[in-house]
Amino acid sequence: MNKILITDQGAEQSVVEVLRFLLDNKKVGGVLTLRQTSKKGSLDYGLLTRSEELDRAVPLMPVMPANAAQILSSLTPAKKPIAAVVKPCELRGFVERIKREQGSLDNVLTISMTCGGVIPLDISIKTSKNKLTPKYYEQVKAGEIPENIRPTCKTCEHFVPMTADITISVVGEKGLDSTCRFILNSDKAASMTEGFGRIEDGGLDTKVLDDHLKKRQTKNKNLLESLKSQLDGLDGLVDIFGKCIGCHGCSRVCPICYCVLCDFESRSFDQNVTFYEEELTQKGALRLPPDTLFFHLGRLSHMSFSCVGCGQCADVCPADIPVASVFKKIGENTAALFDYVPGRDVEEDIPVMVFKEEEFKELGE
Amino acid sequence: MSKSSKPGIKIPVKNGIEQTVRTLLNKALGHSIDALLMPVKVPSKDSYAWILMQDSDVVNDASPMAAGMPVQGAKALKSLTRKGGGSLRVAALMRPCEVRAAIELVKLNQINLENVVLISYDCPGALPLSELSDNFEAAEKKFKVLLSSRCFDSPDVKPVCQFCTGFSMGAADIHIGLADGDTGHLLLISGSPKGKAFLSAAGLNVDEDLSAYKKQVDLILKKKTQKTKEIFQAVQPMVEGLENLAETFSNCIGCHNCQSACPICYCRQCYFDSKESKLEPAYYMEKAEKRGGVSFPHDRVLFHVGRMSHMSLSCVSCGQCTDACPVSIPVAKVFSYVASQTQQAFEYSAGKSVSEAIPLKEFKEDELQKIHEIVKSAESQESPHE
Repeated sequence: MNKILITDQGAEQSVVEVLRFLLDNKKVGGVLTLRQTSKKGSLDYGLLTRSEELDRAVPLMPVMPANAAQILSSLTPAKKPIAAVVKPCELRGFVERIKREQGSLDNVLTISMTCGGVIPLDISIKTSKNKLTPKYYEQVKAGEIPENIRPTCKTCEHFVPMTADITISVVGEKGLDSTCRFILNSDKAASMTEGFGRIEDGGLDTKVLDDHLKKRQTKNKNLLESLKSQLDGLDGLVDIFGKCIGCHGCSRVCPICYCVLCDFESRSFDQNVTFYEEELTQKGALRLPPDTLFFHLGRLSHMSFSCVGCGQCADVCPADIPVASVFKKIGENTAALFDYVPGRDVEEDIPVMVFKEEEFKELGE
Repeated sequence: MSKSSKPGIKIPVKNGIEQTVRTLLNKALGHSIDALLMPVKVPSKDSYAWILMQDSDVVNDASPMAAGMPVQGAKALKSLTRKGGGSLRVAALMRPCEVRAAIELVKLNQINLENVVLISYDCPGALPLSELSDNFEAAEKKFKVLLSSRCFDSPDVKPVCQFCTGFSMGAADIHIGLADGDTGHLLLISGSPKGKAFLSAAGLNVDEDLSAYKKQVDLILKKKTQKTKEIFQAVQPMVEGLENLAETFSNCIGCHNCQSACPICYCRQCYFDSKESKLEPAYYMEKAEKRGGVSFPHDRVLFHVGRMSHMSLSCVSCGQCTDACPVSIPVAKVFSYVASQTQQAFEYSAGKSVSEAIPLKEFKEDELQKIHEIVKSAESQESPHE
């Protein structure tokens, strides 16, 4: 049985106090958490080393200005221990990055939560912070799927962190305003928080989470059905990605796309006029800049089995293409072929890095 | 009067401005040019893409004066001509800011205009990309009204378009004049020998007096200049001092969409995305220990300042950066203001002429005297160290 740490103040404040405890007692050298940075309520991730800096921390705020997996990559391997409060998909993204040698879990205390979902950037930017979350938390506490979260979050089946040292119980927690339960999943978690407060035996409320999972599974199934018809064949893909403006913002904010220079921005796709002239003669017309759909197919083939469905790509798309839903769906399908779940286990190899003689027999035939 | 002072010709509008232009271009296709570069609606009919075309059916499908600018035209021209080669003669129909960007990219060795005829038009502005995404049909309808009624002060176009002083004739080889209010006609104006040759190959001989048209353009320009003043006055405090700059960009998530949508930012890999910009993990911790905390994504304000210092001299105020920003930062207004200041300092105007060198590529002994004086006076006021 796991141990739970129970506090008797609201969840957000409790998390801040745990972080403060870790800093003040020199258990960690720094904490990574969301925080408010400006008068108008802008948010970012801060690596904080001083207790007083935590006054502006909002570790549970349901927004994602960046997928923290990218940030954890730049902070690790860490010489001094750090604690990071990140969402389950950010943690999964980081695990996938580690498999690609883009970081390390050594010296990182990972704190995550059962996640109610993330509010899209455009909404969170335009809404004052005190109006942003009341309705959201009302629904989260009731175990419902909040209305104003990202489409991919509504269909996310991995809202319970898979590898966190500490899991903050949020979804379905009715008493969230006056108490907070931290599930200590590792010895590291237990020893680091020792002396902070009341410890009991216990774990997450599986009944509540199972009920919530069913709701998300239904949504996910519906998404699959609605996308299936749209994604059918090349024409469907052209319809979805035809309005792409080629900014590649989706790949830049993606926690999995870690390449410093995407091949599609490299010289390998440059052509001279003669090449285009021949293409033009064959086809009568061609789109410039070229390779609009090819880029997305290339990205899918490179990262889809590791896609954690965080939804950053759709949030930054200036053309409002539902990139995240498409990638999440295709990712789930490709990952399933390999019985793979991205971010489940850091020891699990990425499918394309292992060769199994007996796999894909049907293709061989 | 010599012919060169009357470089225009008036032609009647038949079935709308766009159809008139399509007919004209179709006639030239296969004769004075081999291909056309124009916006065409994408298959899902909810946006435009740049299409290089040879087929007259495709020309008839094109939207020469598109309601919006999903991709800056100079970027399309860059992908075609950057590596050079070939002898394909292309006419590209673009907005004036796209022409300006193309001119800047020529100077930056990213575009080769040798076989290209640039055609532009009096631009009512472009509708924001978000408006195209929300309801493309409505956006198209709205823009067609602006175009046919020759409206140049619409509050619906992108914020930078509303105060754009470069909406009319610039460095294009041929300019389509629409601003004189004569809705039954349009003017074709040759801006270069290349343009004149193109027109005469189409059997169009220029001899129209342009003074009435120019008067109208000047009137619009005057209003836009006044608007620019007002906007810049409001923007100035947003960029003065580091604190204000940080507040202006405080919602930035570091996606760099502004840079990748920018026609001028041609670097394949921005320094701020490069390996060189990534620092050792210990660096961030040390910095955090000094200051109490560091912000991630890192160096977001520095990114914008860096981008400004690299491209503001060539900024054409097309507004693509704002359209691409997922967190609604008024990037274009800020950059346009800063650009106006830097370009003024060098008496440079981005995209005006290929023959005008980019200031940073030129050394003039007597330039920036003001700064020299500021430094000198600061030095003389310093107390001796002893």
